Amino acid sequence: MSGSPENHWYCVAMLSGLAEARKTLLLGKEITVGSGADGAWAKSADGSLMPVIERFGHLWACPGEPKKDLFSIPEADGEGRRLVDVGSVRVRCSPLRAVENFLDVAHFPFVHTDILGTESNAEVDRYKVEVREETDEVWATKVKFHQPQAAMSATGGIITEYMYRVPEPTCAVLYKTCPPRPGEWDVITLFVQPLTEEWCEVWPWMALYDDDSTLSEMVSFQQLIFMQDRSILENQIPKKLPLDPGLEVPTQADLTSVAYRRWLKKTGYSYGAQLVAA
Amino acid sequence: MGWIAGGLCADVPPGTVIPVCIGGVDLAVWCSQTGVYSAWADRCPHRGMRLSHGFVRGETLSCIYHGWQYDQSGSCIYIPAHPQLTPPRTICATSYPCASRDGAIWISLAASDESPPETGGREPVRSLPFAGSAERVARFVDADLDALAVLGGEADLAVAIQPVSDTACMVHAFAANGYDPKSVSVQLESMRGEFEELAA
Repeated sequence: MSGSPENHWYCVAMLSGLAEARKTLLLGKEITVGSGADGAWAKSADGSLMPVIERFGHLWACPGEPKKDLFSIPEADGEGRRLVDVGSVRVRCSPLRAVENFLDVAHFPFVHTDILGTESNAEVDRYKVEVREETDEVWATKVKFHQPQAAMSATGGIITEYMYRVPEPTCAVLYKTCPPRPGEWDVITLFVQPLTEEWCEVWPWMALYDDDSTLSEMVSFQQLIFMQDRSILENQIPKKLPLDPGLEVPTQADLTSVAYRRWLKKTGYSYGAQLVAA
Repeated sequence: MGWIAGGLCADVPPGTVIPVCIGGVDLAVWCSQTGVYSAWADRCPHRGMRLSHGFVRGETLSCIYHGWQYDQSGSCIYIPAHPQLTPPRTICATSYPCASRDGAIWISLAASDESPPETGGREPVRSLPFAGSAERVARFVDADLDALAVLGGEADLAVAIQPVSDTACMVHAFAANGYDPKSVSVQLESMRGEFEELAA
């Protein structure tokens, strides 16, 4: 993978939200997104068309030359899943801080109190973290956590099992125990559009087995969770994610974060990162 | 800078924490259940979250992000994700000298052998933000930027000026025992009005 941020894919819009062309920012530069008879498009400020992909209900653009295809999520194709465009939340934080927060379970009891975690069950057991060389992705597996209400479809507390996957520096995929269908995984993603190094637009997307909740209930549930996260993300110092050890102190519960930071550093991806300890 | 008044005790009662900025340095100032004040860098060493968003329990302050709990010395004593673990002593918040005296919270950004200043028997009144640097406000009231500037008058008013930034400061006012709160408030607000009119 190339470290140059221009050569990566970024989520820039919901396909259902492109009826009118609009301007937005990508890596600090103005771009325009819209759709026409030939599908959705993205243009840089000089009017040139950028490489785009329509996938997961969203429009993806690459400001430079893509080094590989956008990742896929085969699990999300399962029949009977409901695909949920959640919308977006703009957050005044580094795109990398937003991804790191999504990879963290230890904050559930304190930030998503009595929804995704409770203080009386705050322990994080050891889980497995690896960088899968063949795909160059960070994976955390066997992450287990006690949750009072893991999803809209959950009734009462359960031990939820999670898998986390980072296929792109600004994207994370969460696979999570599916309350109505044991054996299947609910898929919840976080696509982060870096507006600047310290400002991002977060596009969550879900592919769930849930026949009971209304779309509006599912969207509200995710919006509530992300609003709670925003109160954290806009109050971390420094705003950029420190990649060098020393400024922040990880523990065993932070193994995913440690692997993510190392992977970013090894890759040379530094947009939104702080490389020298302040 | 020596001792700076960072606030009035009445505004930070036991069990609470607030953000305070002194000369560009962001602090979390908190009061334990037994009334002991502490001033720390507003940053949890774990993930950089502002500790001023945290919560006080007993004689400890916890970070709102992951619940890491710190004792009054600033040492981390409990990590909820690892309940069996005794956190290493190296995990600690940066703490600054802090003391309460005569109803005001005094903070020093450097180690200090001296005691916080006396208020001359005056009582704390209230704090007011001024849209100007501490130096400009000190010049305006014709006082040195000492810890306490005596303005006198009927209520024997005195102020401690807290530098915040190049364009803002906080003025903490003290007045003689038995002062009339309304007239002191009027005096302070007209002083601020004159200052901000002059500065504009």
